[in-house]
Amino acid sequence: MQYLRDLASARELLANLTLRDIRGQYKRTIFGRLWSLASPLASMLVYTFVFAFIFRVKPDPGDPSGVNVFAIWLLCGLLPWTFFSTALSTSMGSIVGGAGLITKVYFPRMVLPISSVLTVGYNWLFEMAVLTIALFVVGAFVLPWLPLVLLMMVLLAVFATGVGLILAVANVYFRDTQYLLGIVLQIWMYLTPIVYPSTLVSDASKSVGGLFGTPITVWDIYELNPMLHFVNVFRNLMYDNRFADPADVLACVAWAVVALVVGMWVFARKEKRLAEIL
Amino acid sequence: MTDIAVHVDDVSKKFRLYHERNQSLKSAIMRRKISVHEDFWALRDITFDVPTGSTFGLIGSNGSGKSTLLKCLAKILYPETGTITANGKVAALLEVGSGFHPELSGRENVFLNGSILGMSRKEIQRKFDEIVDFSGVEQFIDQPVKNYSSGMYVRLGFAVAINVDPDILVVDEVLAVGDAEFQQKCFQKFEDFKAAGKTVILVSHSMGSVKTMCDHAAWINKGHLELVGEIDPVIAAYENSYPHQP
Repeated sequence: MQYLRDLASARELLANLTLRDIRGQYKRTIFGRLWSLASPLASMLVYTFVFAFIFRVKPDPGDPSGVNVFAIWLLCGLLPWTFFSTALSTSMGSIVGGAGLITKVYFPRMVLPISSVLTVGYNWLFEMAVLTIALFVVGAFVLPWLPLVLLMMVLLAVFATGVGLILAVANVYFRDTQYLLGIVLQIWMYLTPIVYPSTLVSDASKSVGGLFGTPITVWDIYELNPMLHFVNVFRNLMYDNRFADPADVLACVAWAVVALVVGMWVFARKEKRLAEIL
Repeated sequence: MTDIAVHVDDVSKKFRLYHERNQSLKSAIMRRKISVHEDFWALRDITFDVPTGSTFGLIGSNGSGKSTLLKCLAKILYPETGTITANGKVAALLEVGSGFHPELSGRENVFLNGSILGMSRKEIQRKFDEIVDFSGVEQFIDQPVKNYSSGMYVRLGFAVAINVDPDILVVDEVLAVGDAEFQQKCFQKFEDFKAAGKTVILVSHSMGSVKTMCDHAAWINKGHLELVGEIDPVIAAYENSYPHQP
């Protein structure tokens, strides 16, 4: 309890650290914050060319929105994913990167990883705003769904924070974590229906049937991926313009809560020794 | 208000001296252990009280554990055994300009640094003029701090730290910053601090400044507390402990 009170009283510090990173990020660049749009835009072009033009992946048109643009469909899943993966990498490095502060000043250490998630989240907000405009242009009526989208963004940020807290501590003990994470994220992305619709997996799973004589199918394992549910919900809200499957939402909430509780517990336990080990 | 500002009770701190440290997963798995180490007790059973309103010096030779004790007081390190109880808000000045971002202006950095040291936004706003005035960088306050001279940088950092206004101030050897005029200002600030009934705990190698500023002291030698009490007998005992150069 005392711990949570300390954390609450550090919210100004959290805001200031986040502002420091946001303001410092694109200093001395000509295009400034536009750079944060460049990378998702480039990925969009590449994936659209490879998957829509060469491989002819055809996701179902938005129901009931009727939108049928691969690039937009892709971005509805890609932007949440890029936020998630960037948030994990930066929060993981935040403790090792903030060694100078940690060994010299006392403050609740949890502020560092949380502020990195918020910094990445700020850029994400910017990207999502641009996507919303693009959705308007192609004819999706996304406006009434925006509050729910925002809520889901908070939920995904909570999930990323929880995982990031664990990774930040792990990285202090084993610097391998950062290299390992890069590979894991790469695999994880292709295990999530971002560049292809998940119906392709469920169809393939049906034709294979139970694995090794058990009733467990590939799809059952595939569904364990928390990001699958997040991507589904974002696509339902933004691309289809309809309420998401309650099962997906429930899975998102459950994953976020579990990640945050475990993350904070691990972090609080190891926090006191961080200054010594760094 | 009690007359004891900080109660240090039976504090011990150990560090691990690593003979082998496997900071990568591969080596940790291959060697089937994370590290081979022996314990080194940097502090052993330290017990003393710091009276409220005193300026308390920690003295001892290099590697005696002074800085470790200071970091324990500042809550950066945590002792293995024993407790440190502080009556009031503690601020530590182990480094000046913590968390300064080189690309941000002096003004932004004052707010950033102040909140790292535990000040609220309102407090900083109230003291902003005083901080800028004390640092003497008025003209450059809206310039990015990367363009500051090292002296200006340190002075701004120090000005923020000294204005945190804690009940107990823990200071490492950061007094040796800035020019003579600035040092004079710092000493004045410490005097004001004392006059306001606040407690200062400081580590210094300069016996001169310890003698002029402190009224109590603790002498630590190889992690053990040798002597604690009024300043003069402690310093005398410390100076007698090593052979004087002729």
